[in-house]
Amino acid sequence: MTNSNQNSHKGATVQMPEIEIDDLSVHMGGQTIISRLSLRLFSGQKVTLVGRSGCGKSTVLYSLLGFINPEAGAIRIFGRELTGDSVWKLRTRMAYVAQEPQLGAGTVRDFLERPFTFKSNRQLRKNVVRIPELMQRLHLPTSLLDKDISTLSGGEKQRLALISALLLDREILLLDEASSALDRVAKHAVIDLLKSSTALTVLSVSHDQDWIGFSDHSVDLCKAQHGAEA
Amino acid sequence: MTIIDISPWRLAAGYLMLAIPLGIIFWLRMPMLGQTISAVVRMTLQLLFVGFYLQFIFDLNNFWVTGAWVLIMIGVADVSIVRGCRLRMSRLGGGLFIALLAGTVVPLLIFVVVLQGKAGLNAQYVIPICGMILGNCLRADIIGIRDFYESLQKSEKAYLLSLAQGASLKEALHPFVRDACQTALAPTVATIATIGLVSLPGMMTGVILGGGNPMTAIKYQIAIMIAIFAGTALTVILAIRLTAFNNFTARGTLDPGIFEARKS
Repeated sequence: MTNSNQNSHKGATVQMPEIEIDDLSVHMGGQTIISRLSLRLFSGQKVTLVGRSGCGKSTVLYSLLGFINPEAGAIRIFGRELTGDSVWKLRTRMAYVAQEPQLGAGTVRDFLERPFTFKSNRQLRKNVVRIPELMQRLHLPTSLLDKDISTLSGGEKQRLALISALLLDREILLLDEASSALDRVAKHAVIDLLKSSTALTVLSVSHDQDWIGFSDHSVDLCKAQHGAEA
Repeated sequence: MTIIDISPWRLAAGYLMLAIPLGIIFWLRMPMLGQTISAVVRMTLQLLFVGFYLQFIFDLNNFWVTGAWVLIMIGVADVSIVRGCRLRMSRLGGGLFIALLAGTVVPLLIFVVVLQGKAGLNAQYVIPICGMILGNCLRADIIGIRDFYESLQKSEKAYLLSLAQGASLKEALHPFVRDACQTALAPTVATIATIGLVSLPGMMTGVILGGGNPMTAIKYQIAIMIAIFAGTALTVILAIRLTAFNNFTARGTLDPGIFEARKS
């Protein structure tokens, strides 16, 4: 990763976590979803969140993206605290793929080019040349580009959402059950692609054993929380 | 050519025509007899009240009294829209009032001052024209506001994906604002395209009944249609922008407090 992620102190280099969650608690609808969770991810690490439904796995990803305002605790990304002010800048350093991505209306090409109409991504527009290569790697025919999004299968949508995320050249990738609609071949193509992106930090949520096997380590979210039920 | 007044006795005779719908309701045992009678009584009382009140305002012809009446009309429209959209008054009322005020007053002023000269500021012109523009603004705002907030709720994942991709609040909201405006303006555009063919429009009918010739009537009709279109476009975009201002969190998510709690 870049030197900006490292602090030098008296000649020794101390690596700063790219994602740092400290004592995070999230309540929703009168229920505690996350209780005092702490987690650190360093540059290039691939970590998978596991655990039974309702443990707050997706909520962790939503909290990192600033879609949820936690009751207590802190989130730091690249050492910067996530707040209402900083979240807009920090989102331009992360990419996210939802479990059942809603890709909006229009063609696949429209969907893949849309993020580059945003001011913060305009300088990345040149990355669209990588679309055919990425589609090929994930076993998607380029003829799909002119198809309407509404005609796509769940597995195609997931892979296209991943391609869109990778085109943004972010340092952190957040994946919420990103392989749930993929067959075995497509899933391994996705895993191989992510494995080859060594500098990319990946925090994913999955129940899939192949996926868990690919990550550096997995964290059982139910056990990782203080005060949570075992 | 002057308008023929209707005597109270002749109007009362007109009520006899109600025998047709009431007879059908009674014959088919439709459970809406009480509701229908209540609606007719309400219509009579409301119009009687408005008739007396407008007569008073027209006779007085005072700029401030006319202005106050216009503000009351806008206030009533404001409350109707928020109730029609099932959203919280405290969250929308203020921004919507400004949007309705601008959407009504700007085209109204152009209509009465530019097209008619200063005489157009008379209560006799301002109030009916304002009513026509405001009625259309109300309908457009209900459609636009409802479409905007409901689409955001329905397509929340697509909206959040835009934010996650680095969009600013304005960029992420842009497709929702565009679609809501399009949905709200479509009926007005359709009306403009078919006017005169499907039905004789209200303004034109009014001018003809008031003794004007058809050519004068169509000029009024064209002017009011343009005023209505300008007013609806202005009010919808302002209604969405001004209400969106205080209904999103600092992190860009829609504040769920805007929706009224559903009664079980």
